[in-house]
Amino acid sequence: MLIDADAMLGRHPRRDTGTGSITEALDRMDRFGIAEAVVSHTLSWLHDPATGNRELLDLVAGRPRLRPCWVMLPDTCGETGTPAEFVAAALAGGVCAVRAYPADHGYDLAGGDCASMLAALADAGLPLLVDAAQAGWPTVESVAAAHPGLRVVVGGIGYRQLRQAAGVLSRTGNVHLGLANLSSHCGLEWLVDRYGAGRIVFGTGAPLRDPAEAVTRLLWAELDDADVAAIGSGTLLGLLPVGAV
Amino acid sequence: MNAITSAVWSRRPQTSVRIVDAHAHAGPYSLFFIPEASPDAMVRVMDRCGVAHAVISSHLAIQLDAAAGNAATAEAVGRAPDRFTGYLTVNPWQDPDGELARWGDDPRFGGIKLHPDLHDYPLTGRRYAGVWEFARRTGCPVLTHTYDGSPYNDLDEVDAVAAEHPDVVIIAGHAGATPLGFDRAVEVAQRRPGVILEVCGSFNTGPDIARMVRELGPDRVVYGSDFPFIDLRISLGRVIFSGLAETDQAAVLGATMTRLLQWRSGQG
Repeated sequence: MLIDADAMLGRHPRRDTGTGSITEALDRMDRFGIAEAVVSHTLSWLHDPATGNRELLDLVAGRPRLRPCWVMLPDTCGETGTPAEFVAAALAGGVCAVRAYPADHGYDLAGGDCASMLAALADAGLPLLVDAAQAGWPTVESVAAAHPGLRVVVGGIGYRQLRQAAGVLSRTGNVHLGLANLSSHCGLEWLVDRYGAGRIVFGTGAPLRDPAEAVTRLLWAELDDADVAAIGSGTLLGLLPVGAV
Repeated sequence: MNAITSAVWSRRPQTSVRIVDAHAHAGPYSLFFIPEASPDAMVRVMDRCGVAHAVISSHLAIQLDAAAGNAATAEAVGRAPDRFTGYLTVNPWQDPDGELARWGDDPRFGGIKLHPDLHDYPLTGRRYAGVWEFARRTGCPVLTHTYDGSPYNDLDEVDAVAAEHPDVVIIAGHAGATPLGFDRAVEVAQRRPGVILEVCGSFNTGPDIARMVRELGPDRVVYGSDFPFIDLRISLGRVIFSGLAETDQAAVLGATMTRLLQWRSGQG
């Protein structure tokens, strides 16, 4: 079974990715044999997190294959409520993960501004999803060290970052890598051999990325079926909050 | 579901189509760690997926030393001639005419590789004159790196050299590399019949590849992966799941590139 931990609804302003509708997302999942997806909304990323988070819950209501993922902000300006309010609303809405865009949203994920929000996520068992380009590896490591109960999934590794990723994986136990654009030659097998399939989470990056990349990369990997199954869904299910599985 | 996608889902190598990777390298690269960069490991990955052949230029050749790197490419091809063909890398700063003279008649090489971005030299520059003369005279295809907006190998440079050398087959590596670059690459290829689009890179998608084939035809678009720079399966998956008709897909995956590599058989 494949569960996509890195998918998005909504339009994109700088690329033709379709309408970003629920229908398109489900059609795409069917085409690639993806059972479920953790979805954020571009409205939360590229316009207004608070509004996007609210609208995402309305969009996925009654769609059990789509698990909502909210976008966090530091609580410095009160845009998404206090950390306690944000987390309570997220859990009440069935949110299973929270995504951060510190580069695009102009804050420091590892600084004091986000500490209380990240602590609240850790307490709630909500994993934090963040792309490598949004945070950088020193920030990821600082966050993971400061919040050892927080599960962090770093996506969008590309093919140039194994040196940094390997260091952080070696020094932490709560950092995982997403498969979307994890494109180092033989990198997936190398990572699984070193750190285990439990550190890798299937994700496509759709619709900005073509799901064919991650699906082909995983199924044609030089890995046994048990590791492929773990990466395909098992690792993610182990990261989600209690009650969300 | 066709035979290739069925092979993916069942996790076995595909055997229904001859796949030729038109854009590959070999060996380590200083900017980042590649776990298994050797030609032997590349063949193992090719076997895992059912890729018959790859056209390679060593990373040593494109990154640092064309002479030593071309020798490394030749050695890799010589050890597995049924799996690899070489691209002769021409660095405009490192005796370009000498490299052409040294390797031009060597059957281990089936194409020429230019990387203007890595060598800080424009595709339109005079130091490449010998390349175009050799390619025109022999029919040897020329693969050039392209990147939309680059000062050295933007689509405008591809357009200019294709206009100046209409008899040369120019393979536009990465097809412009970005969504805007794909649009511009298609426009250049529509104007210049000698231009072939090669589809590897970080930003291409199956729908973009299908559109290139719709606009240009399956004899103008070739699959490449850039491996081991990038994992072979990333670009391959895009083509496999692109929704192309089977004959068109077979052309993109290998038939068109196989034809482009036949130029030596036409030489006296």
